[in-house]
Amino acid sequence: MSLEFTNSDAFTMGVELELMILSTHDWDLMRGAEDLLALIEKVEHPGEIKPEITESMIEISTSVHRDYREMLAELEAIRDTVLTQAQRLNLAISGGGAHPFQHWAEQRIFPKERFFHLHEMYGYLAKQFTVFGQHIHIGVSCGDDAVYLTHVISRYIPHFIALSASSPFSQGIDTAFDSSRLNNINAFPLSGTMPFVKDWADFNAYFDSMRDLQVVESMKDFYWDIRPKPEFGTIEIRVCDTPLTVRKAAMIGAYAQALARHLMLDRPHEPSLDVYRVYSFNRFTACRYGLDAGFIDAHSRERRTLKEDIAVTLKTLAPHAAALGSGAALAEISGGLESAQNDSSWLRETYRSTGALSDVVRLQSGRWSNE
Amino acid sequence: MDDASFLPAFPFAAANLMLVGAVLLCGLAAGQVFVRFLRLPRITGFVAAGLLLGPAVLNLIDQTMLNELSIFVDISLGLILFELGRRLDFRWLMRDRWLLASSVAESLLSFLLVFATLRLFNVGGVYAATAAAIAMATSPAVLLMVIHDRRAKGPLTERMLALTALNNVFAFLLITLLFGFVHLEYKANWVKAVAHPLYMIFGSIVLGYLAFMIARWLARWLGKREDAQFAMLLGLIVTTVGFAISFKLSVLLALLAFGVFVKNQDRDHDLMAVEFGPGAQFFFVVLFVITGAGLQLSELAVAGVVGAAFVVARLAGKLVGLMMFAPLSGLSQNKAALLAVGMVPMSAIAVVMVQGASALYPEFGARLSAIVLSAVVILELVGPLATQWSLTRAGETEEAARQPEPKQ
Repeated sequence: MSLEFTNSDAFTMGVELELMILSTHDWDLMRGAEDLLALIEKVEHPGEIKPEITESMIEISTSVHRDYREMLAELEAIRDTVLTQAQRLNLAISGGGAHPFQHWAEQRIFPKERFFHLHEMYGYLAKQFTVFGQHIHIGVSCGDDAVYLTHVISRYIPHFIALSASSPFSQGIDTAFDSSRLNNINAFPLSGTMPFVKDWADFNAYFDSMRDLQVVESMKDFYWDIRPKPEFGTIEIRVCDTPLTVRKAAMIGAYAQALARHLMLDRPHEPSLDVYRVYSFNRFTACRYGLDAGFIDAHSRERRTLKEDIAVTLKTLAPHAAALGSGAALAEISGGLESAQNDSSWLRETYRSTGALSDVVRLQSGRWSNE
Repeated sequence: MDDASFLPAFPFAAANLMLVGAVLLCGLAAGQVFVRFLRLPRITGFVAAGLLLGPAVLNLIDQTMLNELSIFVDISLGLILFELGRRLDFRWLMRDRWLLASSVAESLLSFLLVFATLRLFNVGGVYAATAAAIAMATSPAVLLMVIHDRRAKGPLTERMLALTALNNVFAFLLITLLFGFVHLEYKANWVKAVAHPLYMIFGSIVLGYLAFMIARWLARWLGKREDAQFAMLLGLIVTTVGFAISFKLSVLLALLAFGVFVKNQDRDHDLMAVEFGPGAQFFFVVLFVITGAGLQLSELAVAGVVGAAFVVARLAGKLVGLMMFAPLSGLSQNKAALLAVGMVPMSAIAVVMVQGASALYPEFGARLSAIVLSAVVILELVGPLATQWSLTRAGETEEAARQPEPKQ
């Protein structure tokens, strides 16, 4: 039995954001997903709001969009719904890729069959998975396009890491990484990248053999950085930290959308194994150094900084952004490049000025709430 | 010269230290026995140890020793009330006005039902009112200790702490106001009846505010260092307790006010939310052992029926009050009932309040004791169990975290 790929409109998009549930007393993570979801269930709201693996996490997701401004408006509406209900329980909500000082061992698995199963299978890794990511879905018209786009967009994965990075602190220390969150994902056996398959039929052959070998049961078992999502008809980019604001989340979504349009219509590169040879290195430096990271371009074999590569890409994307109506979003990304500031820089600066990680969480929660 | 003067002699020079240490160790041991062998809450073990060692049974800790140890009770209560005050978040009250409404309802109904019950048993008006006011308050000591011991965390725990902070405020204010009526009962003049409650209420709040101002100033100077801020707060709490006693103010109200100001008035967030973790354990154990030692089983024999009726009326008031407003706060009836059960403990604070009344008019204190303390005996032993059960049922303690074995 092969995976059926749902055809969807090319260059549509949607985002999912995993969020922190916080105590307003000490700003540590707080178990509250169940009560919060019970309150949310009773009110009308756009998008979807769901539980995640531990009880101090919640996931919001948008519907399908073509216009990033509409997506932003929906994200703001979902954010406000969650906030209003959270405030009734005296809980705070925040973005950010990792909670700066939570202890993973204290986290509790959300009571749901699938999450208990993951905990049983992965042990402590499941609780260490209390990190918060943004997933971006980009619509593609068929399975072959999904495989093609997954391969060619891999070159740009460091862009997404550095632009969204917001997890410099973990378990109470400065990790020196801009995105420490991705280190937690590397530990899973089925993380990494999709194998170098050439089309959807080839992908299906690979998937079938993995299922026959009983390594996986479904696509959900692959924790790849980018994976095709046949039931949605999308590819899903999973390397981003949840940014500190919904505005930034929508901006990064718009960047992915314009990039996909460029790669699919202009076809500047063919899938290449060279991209995967430099992949881990580029990914690591992006996690570690953010926008100032070194970047190796597998196609031109040149070395430049990540922010230079993003600047060049943004220029190429200009006509596509114009066609998609996301020029303003890309201009804002461009404007932030010069100073190489991302959300991790903001978090570190906030720690420097306040001197306490609990203050950092309080202020990042305020930032999320648009206070 | 006495050649043997270097040898120890009775009475031992440091008998007090030995006493405190022994109290601590016995309490700890009993707590451990209760948890491990009887599967009962640790606090019940502390209290039982006190009851056993105290005048009621073995009399190893007698009344004079209890008086000498009262300083530890004051400091412990100071710590606990301060911590409780920090759980009273005015912003939450503004956002969820039904929270305040449910708190007023449960406090008022506990008061009215207990008052009516005591009147049925022919207890005099002022006594019944004072006892009913004491009944409003949930013991923050038991609540905080159970939360700490079972590592409870979650929305119900937070709500229980906020409601407890509120019903303590209501109880303190009402009891202090009732002091006025006690004065009148004992034929004091009107000026005294009005001035004394006002002095206690406003004096205590001003003292709490001064402590807060000093704490904030010191915190700015010390910086964001948890250990330094912890020591500073502990020092200020003890000093404030001392001032409250010396100025004949309410230790409870002053420390509660201190905590409330820290939570709500620290606009620049200079003060950290320091945990009184392992260090506070010492005070908790001593507090509960001494509380246990202060209990008198004879009270139960004399006023057992009244005490039992008191307990039932109080629980009914909390249940009805909380369940009435639960849907408006988005709370299920089941959770509201768990809240009411969790708020059953009524302990050391009540004892202290009774002592406060005793100091004023010994006869009044004695008559009030007979009524309240029988209820205290019952609730001191049952209360921790109720709180622990409630928080576990709500899925917020560590026990609740034991996950079911996943199906293969």
